[in-house]
Amino acid sequence: MSEATSNTAPARINRNVLIGGAVVAFPLLAVLIANLGRDPHAVRSPLIGRPAPSFSLVPVGGGAPVTLEALRGKTVILNFWATWCVPCFQEHAALIEASRSLSGVKFFGVIYEDAEAKTREFIAQRGSGYPSLMDPEGRAAIAYGVFGVPETFFIDGNGRIVEKYVGPLDGSTILALAARAKDGVR
Amino acid sequence: MILLALALAVAAPPAMTSDADAPRGPRLAGAQLEARTNDVGALLRCPVCQGLSVTDSPATMARNMKAEIREKLKAGYDQEQILASFERSYGEFVRLEPPARGVNWLVWLGPVAVLLAGGAVIAWSMRRRQGAAASAPAAAEIADLPSRDALPDDAQLAAAVKRVRTLAYGWTDGLSPSSQDPR
Repeated sequence: MSEATSNTAPARINRNVLIGGAVVAFPLLAVLIANLGRDPHAVRSPLIGRPAPSFSLVPVGGGAPVTLEALRGKTVILNFWATWCVPCFQEHAALIEASRSLSGVKFFGVIYEDAEAKTREFIAQRGSGYPSLMDPEGRAAIAYGVFGVPETFFIDGNGRIVEKYVGPLDGSTILALAARAKDGVR
Repeated sequence: MILLALALAVAAPPAMTSDADAPRGPRLAGAQLEARTNDVGALLRCPVCQGLSVTDSPATMARNMKAEIREKLKAGYDQEQILASFERSYGEFVRLEPPARGVNWLVWLGPVAVLLAGGAVIAWSMRRRQGAAASAPAAAEIADLPSRDALPDDAQLAAAVKRVRTLAYGWTDGLSPSSQDPR
């Protein structure tokens, strides 16, 4: 065997393996790097930037149904919550506080898989700065693509969803997202 | 799995065909309505469960979604209209089968492509091996070679060869087992 063949044979195999490996590995590596900062459980809502689904829901304790159409022109914050949800309890005070300090913003709670009696009791004990609406068959929750509670939707005056926030809100986040909702969908 | 994750990560946004469009299917009732409700529910992911379909899940959310499917089928909406309406709220994630569009084609065609590529590699390596076999000594040449039990004419040399065979291969009397076979 000449020296030339003994040198070229292994080099050719290595190059093929290298190219094949690179073709498979580089796209996977690119996807990995592009998604490094992402929460794998977070599913971005397809509703952001789109018209908020309309609803007609009766407030806790009764009264005329509230519809999204009647709120046109106003910034709306729609907070899905339940009395059995601990993070909802955590954000409750911040939401009441924000509803009092923010002018021109309409706050609504939407009750997610909970009984009206329990909700009324919760509100009686801990207070509320805005109406909560019953969603007995979960239609609003499904239309808004709710996965769990708390989830909060920030809707601009044109009835478009500017942002969806998953998890308990704090005061500064509410103010920041409400300001963006006031600016509207760009 | 990687292809599926890739497709879900960069899938194209759903087309905005509203279910406010006129119902395209027949209005269902009775047993047929129940059966179709379960069929369509089996294609939708229960959003609050771990990998369960709406039909299979006992969760309140899944029950509510099933009620909505039933109502839509009753009103005459077809399967695709119903799936699209849930997709508008939850995204493509809510479909248990990724629809064949955009990057999702990777999920549907990827395995076929990998299978074809594998077949091509096997065919290529077999052809190479056949080429190598063709350059190997022909059968006639092999027949001309002395058999494994052939011994030199010189008795002393033959005895030495036998001893070496016994030592090297463990053959009794230096003869291969095939030559000792009574058949």
